[in-house]
Amino acid sequence: MRMRHAAPVLLLLLAPAFAPRPAAAAKNAGNLPPTTVTTVEVERERPVREKLPTLRFLRANRDFIRARFDRLRETSRVSRAGAGNVDPRFLEYRRLLTEIAAGKDSVTVNSDARERQSVFTSVEDLAALERELDMMEQLLNQQRTRLGYLQADFAGRQRTELDLVITGGALAGQVDSVRVTLEDGTSVASSLTETQRGSIQHGGALEVFRGLVEPRPQVIEIALMGEGWSGTGHGFVTIEPVRDRLTFLKLDLSQASPKLGIGSLAASTWLLETGTDVTRAPSQAAGTPQAEADRDRP
Amino acid sequence: MDDRAPRNTFPTLIAAAALVLLFAGTATAAPARSGLELASAAAQAWSADAQLVYVENDEALEAGGGCERWSYLFYSTSQDRARVWSVRGGKIAVAENLDMRFDAPPVAAGWLDSGTALAAAERGGGAEFRATHRAAQLETMLLMRGAFSEGDPDATTWTFVYRAAGEPSLFVVVSATDGKVQRTWRG
Repeated sequence: MRMRHAAPVLLLLLAPAFAPRPAAAAKNAGNLPPTTVTTVEVERERPVREKLPTLRFLRANRDFIRARFDRLRETSRVSRAGAGNVDPRFLEYRRLLTEIAAGKDSVTVNSDARERQSVFTSVEDLAALERELDMMEQLLNQQRTRLGYLQADFAGRQRTELDLVITGGALAGQVDSVRVTLEDGTSVASSLTETQRGSIQHGGALEVFRGLVEPRPQVIEIALMGEGWSGTGHGFVTIEPVRDRLTFLKLDLSQASPKLGIGSLAASTWLLETGTDVTRAPSQAAGTPQAEADRDRP
Repeated sequence: MDDRAPRNTFPTLIAAAALVLLFAGTATAAPARSGLELASAAAQAWSADAQLVYVENDEALEAGGGCERWSYLFYSTSQDRARVWSVRGGKIAVAENLDMRFDAPPVAAGWLDSGTALAAAERGGGAEFRATHRAAQLETMLLMRGAFSEGDPDATTWTFVYRAAGEPSLFVVVSATDGKVQRTWRG
């Protein structure tokens, strides 16, 4: 698994996250389909999954196949360079870069001329200045269009990701850090400062992990460390991230206490709504990806 | 007889429920390429430089080259590890690291799908083997580059393994580029 952010990020969503938000709710209701928040259980034991055999022929003939590969490496040969179709977007990027360079040259030429001309002596000079400003504005507009193109091309490509956040203050004990372990062994630990603890108690959320995950059912292992919590053992949450979507997993500590065990954590998941028009301004884009904060989705 | 009289739908419901139970959890056979996109998405999440190096059927093959579950093995140079995803019915049923070193070369893009390759293997000796040996069947088909190709070590090929009780197995190697049978042997 590859993580996008190494350091945990505190999402400061204090009072607004838990306060009623009629305006935001009404806006969402009009523009987006309702988000399904699914409650998931934090189990004390790792769920047992069906064990299916894979690659039977390869495993049974591993020595033979390895020997064949070793023999291939010893054989010298002339290699051919493969040729494939060039992605048309790469050609488009080149064109954009050329335009950017040309625009930059124009600005530089005008700037140099301006430096040479220290005093405007006539109305004609002012007219020339106005023309130059118009041209710069035009170049800026073109640059804006190019940036919109690139944003649509890159920001529109959501991959399978998981965003794990914790929220809520525990009923008892003190959580000093949270460790999350994925099935492939990737382990991330986030320490909580006093400020962060205070924030999540008041509705804030702390991002513990965000990164690419495999689009399949999998078990996330969670451990809380700190006063009262270190001996509670690990919890296991089964999730199934949807391919090419951002899945949120929220762990709510507000009803948890060491006496009740790790199973007293409340967990829920939901997907980030996706839109299509990412080139519009955020205030205009009805379908722009967003995760409006509310009680279930900090 | 009154056509509007309520009919007893209980037997129909029972039959429908039985059918649902019968087919619940069963995935239909699909060609090898059907799970490739999903497995590739998982592989990219695992390692950005993951490349497909091997494909093998994990369940019995059907006559048209379909299988309920296919395994896709990817190798990452940066991690020097191989990881397999087994896809069934459009979902990943198994994901695990391979417990052996397998730094195989990546298969060529655009490889022929299992149905086309199997038809070539059948014409190239598979059908005859099945007809002449009792209980003979196609047991394995696998896609890889180099290992089974004698003439061109760079070629990506499908290898078919036909087995019959008490008989040496038949191996048929088919080019995954043009569908030509490259070689056959018994062993």
